Amino acid sequence: MSTRSLYVSADTPVHRLTARSKIGLATALSIAAFVFTTPIAVGIVLAVAFGALAWAGGLRNLRRVWFIVVALFVVGFVVWPAFTPARGPTVLATPLGSLSSYELRFALGRSFRIVSFIIIGLAFVSATSNEGIVRGLRSIGLPYAFCFAVGTALRLFPTFLSAADTVRQAQEARGLDLSAGNPIERVRGYVPLLVPVFVNAVRQVNDQSMALEARGFDTRGERTFHGKRPLAGRDWIALALATLIVVGTLVGRYGFGVGAL
Amino acid sequence: MREVFTMWRDTRMILLVAVVAAVYAAILLPFKVFTILPGLTSVRPANAFPVVFGLMFGPAAAWGSAIGNLIADIFGGTFGPGSLGGFVGNFFFGFVGYKLWGNLGPLSSGEEPNMRSIRQVVEYVLIAVASSAMCAVIIAWVADLLGLVPFSVLAPIIMVNNTLAAAVLGPPLLYLTYPRIKDIGFLYPELLADEELSAAGASRRYVAAYGLLVVSLVWLGVGLLVGTGAAPGTLTVGLVGLVGFVLVLAFAIIGAERLSAILERAGARPAGRNR
Repeated sequence: MSTRSLYVSADTPVHRLTARSKIGLATALSIAAFVFTTPIAVGIVLAVAFGALAWAGGLRNLRRVWFIVVALFVVGFVVWPAFTPARGPTVLATPLGSLSSYELRFALGRSFRIVSFIIIGLAFVSATSNEGIVRGLRSIGLPYAFCFAVGTALRLFPTFLSAADTVRQAQEARGLDLSAGNPIERVRGYVPLLVPVFVNAVRQVNDQSMALEARGFDTRGERTFHGKRPLAGRDWIALALATLIVVGTLVGRYGFGVGAL
Repeated sequence: MREVFTMWRDTRMILLVAVVAAVYAAILLPFKVFTILPGLTSVRPANAFPVVFGLMFGPAAAWGSAIGNLIADIFGGTFGPGSLGGFVGNFFFGFVGYKLWGNLGPLSSGEEPNMRSIRQVVEYVLIAVASSAMCAVIIAWVADLLGLVPFSVLAPIIMVNNTLAAAVLGPPLLYLTYPRIKDIGFLYPELLADEELSAAGASRRYVAAYGLLVVSLVWLGVGLLVGTGAAPGTLTVGLVGLVGFVLVLAFAIIGAERLSAILERAGARPAGRNR
């Protein structure tokens, strides 16, 4: 699994939307993937999500996580029939058990839903920078201190990732073997790796707190922001589209039984 | 539960949230001991962090674990509606530890969690099991509600992963790091004033602590019975989860931490600490 940011630096129409609009669209598509249960209906949502991912230039990210996507699809497809009542004609009979048409469609629908969620999330992070994610959290009304912590964590993450790798190399040079022994011994082998990373990280907190407070950092006062980005015409269109998707999905599903098994 | 909100007034606690989140995500993503289901679940050493951090940093560890898991989802390509369950589950993974430490009556060591005695290790392992169960049931409940993976498949996997890493790695990590963190003065009772910490009498603290312990395990057990169809009646995983979650919130609200009193008794924290 890669540990680099999945953000794709590009100037696509998806990138140009504010984080708030992208959150709105991602939420709307997720609701559609959740509400529908037939493989065809969820498959349409999945196709739209794929389109958004491709439009945002995120297909290369899909190549980085394809293994997870396939694994989740297969696990969902194998597991869900065991938790579904058998109805309709049998479509597959094996010595281990049989699969009815209802079980097949139910499992396919659920597996498409899992993949849809992943693709929608992937499209969002492909088109939204870390700063954009934090701005998005702030724009949906989360407290400033929380957003500040998320933003700081996102900035510190690559630093600690690099520190963890450096410590691993140093400890391996001293003879640490993380792949030797039984599972318990292997878990315990991580102690010499975790302690230096952790203690080093915590030591920085005091210096950073003082630096912040010296610059007047205070989470209790009302804050103003430089460069606040208002919603542009394309954002209003995106939010209208998101609303349309949600309303259309709910009316179609619960009013007319569209996409229901 | 007051400290979960009041901690956001303190700059060092806010930075601890960020550091815990970043360290958790930085260890969570690249390092895994072994894989259980390829691409889906592995035993990861980072799963020890929320419990260990929780005992030292209290509410900052709860928020940090939640945010760290979210960052791991964002960088790992699994960000989505299921991340909500991961956020809440990991919050409680870090939250349960500091609420239970010192509040388990005869099962508590009554000492600081520096892992210098067998009683401390026993108390720690009990807390690691409860925290792991709490995290497992919440994540599996949300995943089941979203129709991603059935509760009875996901909950035992997360429970085993978390318990193994937390129980095996936690005691040596605390043994090595707790004294250092205490020397730096970054234990949560040293950063938060009395009025920022929840206060409760002994009986209420015990009820809340045992409530959290019992609910996490009973929720797991009943959820598995209902999820596998072994339980009769009209119970559903969703309903069991709803009742369980409401009870967890209730016990979380009425409970209080104990480490501040333990430190005061040891002379490591002034009684009636004010900001």
